[in-house]
Order: sequence, then structure tokens, then C-alpha cells
Amino acid sequence: MRNGKFVIPALIGIAVASFFLVQSAAGDVEYYRYTSEVDRTQFTDGVRFRLAGTVVPGTITETVEASLFQISDGLETVDIRLVNTPPPLFDAEVEVLLEGAFEGDVFVADNAVIRHAAEYEAPPAGADLED
Amino acid sequence: MFSLFGTLAMLAGVGSAAVLLVQAIRGSMSDRSAAEVDLRPAAVGLLGSGIAAMAVLELALIFDDFTVSYVADHHSVTTPFPFNIATAWAALEGSIVLWCLVLSAFTWFVFRSHERSRDRLGTGAVAVMALVSLFFFALMVTVSNPFETCVEAGARSCVTSSPIPLVAADAPADGNGPNALLQNHILMAAHPPLLYVGYIGLTVPFAFAMSALAIGLPGPEWLRRSKRWTTIAWSFLTLGIVLGGWWAYEVLSWGGYWAWDPVENASFMPWLLATAFIHSATVQQRRSMLQAWNFVLVIGAFALTILGTFLTRSGTIVSVHSFTQSAIGPVLLGFLAFVLVGSFTLFAIRAPVVAQPSRMDSLSSREGSLLYNNLMLTVYAFVVLVGTVYPMVLEAFNGDLVRVGPPFYNRLAVPLSFALLLGMGIGPVMPWRVARPELVWKRIHLPLQIALTAGAAVILFTTDVGLIVVTVILAVFLIAVSARHLLSQAAHAAGIKGTSTSAEVRRMFSMDPGYWGGQVSHAGVALIAIGIASASLLASHTQVTMEPGDTVEFAGYELTYETPFTRTEPQRTVSGATIIAERDGEFVTELRPRQNVYPNFAQPVGTPEIHSTLGGDLYVTLRRLSPEGIVVDLDTSPMMWLVWLGGLVIVAGGVISAKARGVRRRSEAMEHV
Repeated sequence: MRNGKFVIPALIGIAVASFFLVQSAAGDVEYYRYTSEVDRTQFTDGVRFRLAGTVVPGTITETVEASLFQISDGLETVDIRLVNTPPPLFDAEVEVLLEGAFEGDVFVADNAVIRHAAEYEAPPAGADLED
Repeated sequence: MFSLFGTLAMLAGVGSAAVLLVQAIRGSMSDRSAAEVDLRPAAVGLLGSGIAAMAVLELALIFDDFTVSYVADHHSVTTPFPFNIATAWAALEGSIVLWCLVLSAFTWFVFRSHERSRDRLGTGAVAVMALVSLFFFALMVTVSNPFETCVEAGARSCVTSSPIPLVAADAPADGNGPNALLQNHILMAAHPPLLYVGYIGLTVPFAFAMSALAIGLPGPEWLRRSKRWTTIAWSFLTLGIVLGGWWAYEVLSWGGYWAWDPVENASFMPWLLATAFIHSATVQQRRSMLQAWNFVLVIGAFALTILGTFLTRSGTIVSVHSFTQSAIGPVLLGFLAFVLVGSFTLFAIRAPVVAQPSRMDSLSSREGSLLYNNLMLTVYAFVVLVGTVYPMVLEAFNGDLVRVGPPFYNRLAVPLSFALLLGMGIGPVMPWRVARPELVWKRIHLPLQIALTAGAAVILFTTDVGLIVVTVILAVFLIAVSARHLLSQAAHAAGIKGTSTSAEVRRMFSMDPGYWGGQVSHAGVALIAIGIASASLLASHTQVTMEPGDTVEFAGYELTYETPFTRTEPQRTVSGATIIAERDGEFVTELRPRQNVYPNFAQPVGTPEIHSTLGGDLYVTLRRLSPEGIVVDLDTSPMMWLVWLGGLVIVAGGVISAKARGVRRRSEAMEHV
């Protein structure tokens, strides 16, 4: 094909463009971290990421403006300020995934997702749904 | 009973697709065999199987047959109409049934096309459609079977199921119902089938392209045969994307309509390549150029539909759509690899035969502008692809769970969109072969004056003189160029013939619906551009805490929180707040933002209240609700309605274009040179 001479330059062009695109994408990723994996030099105030952990029993306080609680992965504990209404199943010892950013020592989240299998798993037959 | 009938329908689909595949391959071996082969029984069988499988699933849902595992897992007796119908595509297995139904319908249309042509190209296309149908029906029978019989029921779902239909069945008294997000707004019931028609419709041009490659048929005949279906598929895909954005805006409570979510990207990528293909196909039909490129675009668009299915149905990504996780990922990935390797290998072998190189007279020409348009759209698709798959690649290499944020997309999408708007403005008035600068200037100088005047007006009325002014200038220029072109030609013809300009406009649309439908779609893109720019750049936002009786001022409104409310509906509990909106002391409207809690789902689903006017939307989202007070997000989205109107105008353009049947002879078509 007469146009074959353009194939190699085109492939080189695509490779170079891909490199810069990947570099650009890498600069805009939102990370997913457990509490002990958070590096505060990376996640400075205002840098959004998703933070996962288990709600520490006895730490939940509800105010008009926010839900205040702590989450932990067993190694590190983080103070949370959730500005949205918590999901219905939110409770102590529930594993949550929070979206937000640090403001000082407090992680301010505007979304909370209860971590569970992607599709709701009904309890086995005979179990009380209120449990 | 429904399990038995559904299983029989699936098996009949597999059998019909296999027979159709074998017969069509045999038929495509020679002109004579193509003329003689009888594909009708197998094509009828395939279409009947697709219809029967969907009908059985719908009946099982309507009659609450919880012995069918899919019904037990995704349906509830409290699920209201029409969401009980939409439950058929609310989860993976059911969505594959819908896929098979639409695919069998498109296969039927390709078969009907073959009946008229009775040639190897048509027969080969039927073979490709049959191959894809065989894969999806087999997928339904094996790893995505919605008709399994529940043999051990849980409290509200099926714990264990069997693919054998006549085993002893067990059933829960009721099921969980479909995902809460899916039963919270009517658009979520409608937009997936539209997207599916768009996705699956792109199989048709792929089938004709593969057939042309396989039999070594050069020329634009495969384009002519598939053009109408490509336009129809593109129109449905556009409508599905627009309604998906509308749904996100109405339901997801974040005030947006597009988040660069991987599932959104999965529909946007094939749309971009399909759009590029629609334009480059014109170049091949008119100037015999971009022949090889058209094959690449069609393969790419079809492969991206499979990639999109893989992304949304395999659980590879985590997003608001991740409820569709399943074990079919490896199978879809294998099929994607098969499509890519198989089609590009065929292309590499056959391209020298079917795609003749040709030289462009000048880049300053209609074909040059369409090439530019293609490059921009392809780069756009590539950018979205990189952002979508990068997290998966990163996770595969180092286990790091990340997602690429909107800033990456926005940073690249904005300049690419501007470049496309500019190309859409100038391209349609460029003559074929070579454009004389004075002719182009004659066609654009008045629209340019109008666009600059519009830009100046925006500067007068807003403090934002950046992106929004550029957007308005480009968008108005685009619309003005097309309008001037249409009206000047119509007036000229009316003057010669003694008819009216409006009659000539109608005649021009009927003579060349492909071109003028495209111009209508371009105008829709311009409207969307203005809508997006104003809704995002001129928006305002605040979050307030209010106790009953409190009043806040926002965007010229006085908003008073009156009282909370709670009501129980059969399938959910609705809690919300009543807020009275006034302007200058005059009552405007009552706003009732709310949160809906579905008993079997962990996450509440919000319903923001939107007060729409021509100036824009007042968007109120309930963030927190307690007896003491509420926390609400208040947003304005100026000119938001332009986004939805623009989307519908794009679709209208597609519908007009779809009336075009193949290539018109130059003497028959309106002259656009």
C-alpha cells in the first residue's frame, strides 16, 4: 500500500501521545486507601480520595450538620465528619467507604457507601431482617 | 413452567444462530450459492427465540414467579409498574436477554437486506450477525442464565439454583426487588434499552465490513448497505446517552449530568467512533478516500461496544453501576480479544484488496475538514479510553485501586470540543476537492459577524469572559453557517422557480436528508455546548443548615424551610423536607427534596427537587434530615434546558438522516459545492 510509509510514524505518534496521556491521567487519579495506608504528605488538605475502614463502636455522634465518628482498619484510626445523611445500614462495626478530603486532622466526607457485595445478599432463610 | 419455556427459547436461539451461521457461510462462498441459499427458517427461528426469551422473562416477572432465580433475586411483588417490566434488564442476566432480543431483530433486518440483494456481501453479513448472535445466546445459556430454577430459597432471594428446568423448585415468598437506583425514576427504565439498540446496532456496519473484507469486495457497497442502520444505531445511542445524563441529573443528587464515570465513558467511546465513521463514510462514498480508515473505525466502534459491555457487566470497575458484577468477565474479554484479533487480522490480509489508496487534492476542502473531524473524534475517544482503562492497568500491575478524576477528562475534552465545534462550523460549507478562500469567506463572513456579535453580547451580560464567550462564538457561528447556507440556497431556488423559500427548504431536506439531517445534529451539538458552558461556568452553589421556619436567600430566591415529612409507599419510605421558594415576597413554588429508602438496599436514593425556568434550574438536594433541622445543597444551573433540547435536536438530525437511502447520484442530490 502506498500509505504504508505512514504506518511507523503513526505508531510512534500514537505511542508518544499515549505516554503523555497516561502521565496526565496519573496526575488526576483519586486513590482508594485504608486508614493505615494514608500518607498525609500525599493526601494533604483538600486532596480528594476514598477512605475505607470500620466504624469504631461508641464514636458516633449525630448533629444537625454532620455525623461525627471514627473509622479504623485495626491499625490506624481517623476522625470523620460526614456531611451527608448516613446510609440506613450505617452503624458501629460496619465497614464504610467514604469520599472526601482531609481538613486538618478530620476527614470530611460528602458521601458514604456501606461496603458489601455489589449485589445485595439477602440473609438466609429464617433470619430476622431486623437483626 | 417459565424456567422451562425460557430455557427452550434460549436453546432454540443457540440452535437457530448456529444453523444460520453455517448456512450463511456456505451461501457466501459463491454468487450462485448466495442467490440460492434459504436463510429464512433459521432467521425466523433466531428472531422468534429472542422474542420468546424476553416474553417469558417478562411474564415470569408480571406473574411473580419466584421459582425463576432471576425473578427471586431482582423482583418484588411491591415493585410498581413500569419498573416490574424494566426489571427484565435491571441486572446482568436479564440485560443479556434484552441484548439477544435486539441482536436477533437486527439480524432479521440484515437478513431482509440479503433477501433483496441475494449476493455474497449480504450473505456474509448475515453470517457475521449469526456469529455474534451465537455468542450472546450461548452466553445466556451458560454463564448468564436468567431462567435457572430456584431449588433453595432464602428469605428474599434464591440461594441455590439449577439450570435444569424441571427439577423440584423452591421459591421465596417475595424478592428484593430491582436495584433501588433503577426503580427511582422512569428514565432509568427507558434509557438502557435505547443504549442497547445503539450498541447492538453498530454490529450491522461491522457485519457488512467483515463480509466485504472476507469476500474481498472493494468499493463503498458495504457502506451503502449499512449506512442507514449505522445512523439509526447512532441516533439511539445518542438518545440513550442524553437520557442517561438526564437521569443522573434527576436522581443522583449531585447536581451533575456527566461525571466521566466508566459506565458513561463506555457508551461515549463507541458514540465518538460511530460519529467519526458516519462522517468518513461520506468521504469514501463521494471521493473514494479513507477506505481503509472506515474499516478501522467500524471495527473500533464495534469492539468498544464489547469493551463497554465487559466494563459494565464484569464488575471490573467500581461505580454507581457496579451492581451488575458477575462472573462473565473472562468470557466477554475473550470475545473482545477474538473480535480484535480476528477482524484486524482479516483487515491486514484483505485491506490491499478492498481499500485502494487515493490522494487528497487539498487539505483545504470538504474531505480535508472531514479528515480533521475524524482525527479530533478519534483522539477524543482515545483520551476517554486511556482514562477509563488506566485504573485497571494500574491495579493489574501494582494492586493500587484508583480512578481517574474528572479534571483529566475536562482538561482534554474542552480544547477537543472547541476544535470540533470549529470544524463543524467551517467543514459543511467547504467545497469538495479544493476550497477557494474567497468562496469560503463568502460563506462564513456573515455567520462570523453574527457569532462575534453574540460573543460581545455575552460579555455585556456576564462577568465571565473566558470559556463561555469562546463557546458562544463557536456555537452561534456553527448554527449561523448552516442557517445561512440553507436559507441562501432555498431563496435562490425559490427566486428561479417562483416558489416560496419555505417550500424550497422542505424540498432541500427531502432531497438530501443525509446532509441536512447532519446540519440539524450539528445545531444540537451547538445548543449542548452553550448549555454545558453556562450550566457549569455560571453555576452557583452553597450548602445551608436550616431549622423549621428558617429562611435563606439564594440566587434571588427566598427559601423557607417549613416542615419535614415522611410517607410510606408499598416499595419504599420517602422522607423529605418542604421548602417554600419566593421571589420578592411572591410565592414561586413549593420544593420537596427527599430521600427514598428501599427496605432491601443499603444506600438511600435521593430525589432532588428541581425548579426549571428558561433562565435555568434551581436544584435543591436534601443532604441531611433530622427532627432538629436539615442540610440542603442549593445549586443553580443556568440554561440547563439547552443541554436536553440540544440532545433531542441531535437525535432529530439522526432521524432525518436515516431517511437517506444510500448514495444519491450527484445529479439527483442538492449541490453543496
